[in-house]
Amino acid sequence: MNTAQTTRACETCPAHNVANLVKLGINLEGTDYVVALAGNPNTGKSTVFNALTGLRQHTGNWPGKTVTRAEGAFSYSDKRYKLVDLPGTYSLLSTSTDEEVARNFILFGQPDVTVIVVDATRLERNLNLALQVLEITDRAIVCLNLIDEAQRLGIAVAERTLAKDLGVPVVPTAARRGIGIQDLLHTIHDVATGAVIPKPKRIVKHAPQLEKAIGSLAESLQSKFPGLTNARWVALRLLEGDDRIISAVRTGEITSILSLTELPRETVGEGVLE
Amino acid sequence: MESHALINPEIALLWAGIAISILAVVFWPNRGLWARWRRTLQNTRRVRIEDALKHVYDCEYKQLTATHKSIAGALSISGDEVARLLERLEGLNLLRSEGEMLTLTEDGRAYALRVIRMHRLWERYLADETGVSETEWHYQAEAKEHLLTIEQADALAVHMGNPSFDPHGDPIPTAAGELPERRGIALTQLRPHQYAEVVHIEDEPTAVYAQLVAQGIHPGAHVRMISSDKNKIEVEVEGVENILAPIVAANVAVVPVGRVTRTEKAGATLADLAVGESARVAGISRACRGPQRRRLMDLGILPGTLVTAEMRNAAGDPTAYSVRGALIALRKNQARMIHIERNGANGV
Amino acid sequence: MNAISNDDILLKAGNLRWEVGENLHDSLMESLYTEASRIADRVVTRSGAPGRFNWDRALDKLLTGRWTGFPIMILLLMVVFWLTIAGSNVPSSLLASLLLDTVHPVLRSLGESLSMPWWLSGFLFDGVYLATAWVVSVMLPPMAIFFPLFTLLEDFGYLPRVAFNLDHLFRKAGAHGKQALSMSMGYGCNAAGIISTRIIDSPRERLIAIITNNFSLCNGRWPTQILVATLFIGALAPPALSGFLSASAVVAVALFGIALTFLTSWFLSRTVLKGEASTFSLELPPYRPPQVLKTLYTSLIDRTILVLWRAVMFAVPAGAVIWLISNIHVGELSIAEYAINWLNPFGLLIGLNGVILLAYIIAIPANEIVIPTILMLTVASTGVSGYGEGAGVLFELEDNLQYLSVFQAGGWTLLTAVNLMLFSLIHNPCSTTIYTIYKETGSVKWTLVSSLMPIAMGLSLCFLVAQVWRLATAGG
Repeated sequence: MNTAQTTRACETCPAHNVANLVKLGINLEGTDYVVALAGNPNTGKSTVFNALTGLRQHTGNWPGKTVTRAEGAFSYSDKRYKLVDLPGTYSLLSTSTDEEVARNFILFGQPDVTVIVVDATRLERNLNLALQVLEITDRAIVCLNLIDEAQRLGIAVAERTLAKDLGVPVVPTAARRGIGIQDLLHTIHDVATGAVIPKPKRIVKHAPQLEKAIGSLAESLQSKFPGLTNARWVALRLLEGDDRIISAVRTGEITSILSLTELPRETVGEGVLE
Repeated sequence: MESHALINPEIALLWAGIAISILAVVFWPNRGLWARWRRTLQNTRRVRIEDALKHVYDCEYKQLTATHKSIAGALSISGDEVARLLERLEGLNLLRSEGEMLTLTEDGRAYALRVIRMHRLWERYLADETGVSETEWHYQAEAKEHLLTIEQADALAVHMGNPSFDPHGDPIPTAAGELPERRGIALTQLRPHQYAEVVHIEDEPTAVYAQLVAQGIHPGAHVRMISSDKNKIEVEVEGVENILAPIVAANVAVVPVGRVTRTEKAGATLADLAVGESARVAGISRACRGPQRRRLMDLGILPGTLVTAEMRNAAGDPTAYSVRGALIALRKNQARMIHIERNGANGV
Repeated sequence: MNAISNDDILLKAGNLRWEVGENLHDSLMESLYTEASRIADRVVTRSGAPGRFNWDRALDKLLTGRWTGFPIMILLLMVVFWLTIAGSNVPSSLLASLLLDTVHPVLRSLGESLSMPWWLSGFLFDGVYLATAWVVSVMLPPMAIFFPLFTLLEDFGYLPRVAFNLDHLFRKAGAHGKQALSMSMGYGCNAAGIISTRIIDSPRERLIAIITNNFSLCNGRWPTQILVATLFIGALAPPALSGFLSASAVVAVALFGIALTFLTSWFLSRTVLKGEASTFSLELPPYRPPQVLKTLYTSLIDRTILVLWRAVMFAVPAGAVIWLISNIHVGELSIAEYAINWLNPFGLLIGLNGVILLAYIIAIPANEIVIPTILMLTVASTGVSGYGEGAGVLFELEDNLQYLSVFQAGGWTLLTAVNLMLFSLIHNPCSTTIYTIYKETGSVKWTLVSSLMPIAMGLSLCFLVAQVWRLATAGG
């Protein structure tokens, strides 16, 4: 009886890490789910943010515009969502403050959904960031924005193939005109509630020598922290000397973060519901 | 109202001039009284102890023998001073001397490694995160290594993502005091037509180092031996021919590489691209470091990337390039760090 | 199973790091981009005819061209300034008549009807309220016009092209091309200009842009320049030319500000900031038609209200201080008069006077209230009759002749006027800006440098001008 209830209850339970989100300054009052918005600069990320929340955040046509993290809220199908607009970055691997803010939020805040906004007219450059985000989190959606502009330029993106290649839902939008926003809301809802479970394909191959080092380190990690969902990624970060991850491994905090999706969820949800 | 109670303008100007001269004498960078005073404060007993330990450690690492004489030379102090210094070191149980031969104790070795760690971390910091010129790194680190606390050094390492190597290619000892074996052979030992990658450049003596820097030799650079005899050594560095004196070349450590990698063939850089021309990126020069390098890679400038020069500022600099669908303006001095292959662009 | 400890793993990682060497990050980025381009190749199809007309490139040719780039840029900037100045006159005077001439008397009589003690109503309504209302009425209209216009240009994608056009000039000064934008923004408001330096991603160039932003004459300082130039400089020429001469004087001061920006940038990048890291990257985004209504709304919320709010927060205590020092008497004189007497010898030495120096000290929250403060203090300290509304009450005058007579009563000469114009350009930033600098840099050191460097420069320059002036005029 107990297990059956747990599984059913879990489908609607949020997965985010309450303690870490509060530490990151997010007020969770009256929020069922937390959604993060990531993307390159100048992809219309802020426009998507405005289209979802109805807020009028300024959207400059200028890289590096959203410097601080903006927050908004919206409701969809009786659930209340908190939307966090992360700084626009080209990558999550460098050491700039923006990138650290974005990466730590996705990694330690464990948002219920991470929406990666990509520019349909410049897919290749945007996929670089998308692939990096997918290394960290499972619960992601790719928002293929600016499809109107792509159409004008004669660029067609096969979104189904893209979804299959990446292993996560892909929603084409033209946020400036409100096209695709309903689909996006629906998909966010599906992923947040667990109706759809994305399975990102982590297919990036590295140089042989590096692969060997990653493999051997990941093996040790795996045996020490069974259930770690992305040991390879943690291994890579250790090799890069990422101090936040080093200390998370040292203290064992790493288990509570990265294998969270495998744990019974109600233990995490309690904090939010009271 | 103007005239009364006012100081005569000539006298006012005179006083102002005197005040400015005094300020200049006191605060002039490097030569002012303030700077001199700071320097004398730094030249303490601690500095000598640490420098001596470093020297002995360095000798051990290179499998040479440290002697009284070599310490006197390295620290430029007299024989009497050396004797007193060694006495103190032995008293602190950092060093043992058997006749002329000097060896470090466990404590002494750990101490020396700490100082070396600070030195190399600081060099790395200067290289990656500041605009301090390359020839000044070593000099500034020589002073800084005695001033950092262990906590500061660790915080610095964390801040930089725990780097493993200093900008000269030397490994940085870990906080626990580990250091890998020395690698590479001297550039002079390369056979003609052999390819190699520079792994280390000795940063002392400063004049030799400055010459190597000026000739574009830096860790990660690809070199090819053309010919060598006892008077001169001819090498190709990143596609440019250079002539070095053997004594200078001996300060460069290299690891032979088998195949011809892309960077070394490329003489041309992005800066040579005319507007409307396309080329593929062959690689980013190793001399481009830290956030600058990472930013270029984040923007998608990587080996194999197709780049087209789209427009050039009327004054000739900067130039906007289209890179993976985006238009990105780079300055000439950055574009020079990006090697290209022109014929590779035809395949598109 | 848990035979190995967490530290063992870290040790292993540490050892592996020596092996993988320095190129880890490079090879990582390479494999990521390789994968990205493999996927993109599979899913993207381009159907556009290859020879299709490229609007973006054509516009770029026009906007960054050798012969067209600069004229278009200057024209656009002039249009923006003209619209700001011309457009803000009417709403500014409307706001002033509402807040200063209507609401203020109402508040005062309200105080009387409630039988408030004179010091309370004076402190609240003449001090705090009046200074705040003044700042709002002078500051709000130009900012509400300037920022949206600027934002429209930004959204269209034009501003990065300006940075591209001007980068070679800034590069020679050791600065970043994007500084052109934070500078222009500074003409609206230095605090907003400093916030806009966020777009400069290189630490050194961003600091340079922040420290030198003060040399962009903000819109709180234009009225001072125009008033003083009209009264003293314009009067030097025959009436037909006086307008032209005073306008030229103001433009000369603004250009001097630009020259100082470059000079200081150059100096800073070679001395104090020599060791700071420097990177350059400038993405030129595709042109996109701006969404006019949305822009008006968001730039009002984002920039205008934010800056105005900060200004009001600083104007409140300033209003209180202005009123208090004029009304608290120690013996015969008010605190303000003591301060003026004390500052006067130094003020006169550098070709200004005690009133002006005190006004700049207490009106630090906003340059907008410098002139009213000078007027009030001059009237209070010289005892000119017929002007003013009482101790500590800011006021404005009807026409230029009245201004002139008050200033002349205060002992002003042509030298005072010239030095006031210079000092208005080169002095410490207003407290709103200083606070913003602190917020943006997070460093006390750089906040101090940005505040103290201009004041030292301003005082030295005024001193020098005064001495040379006196030497020259004494001879003749």
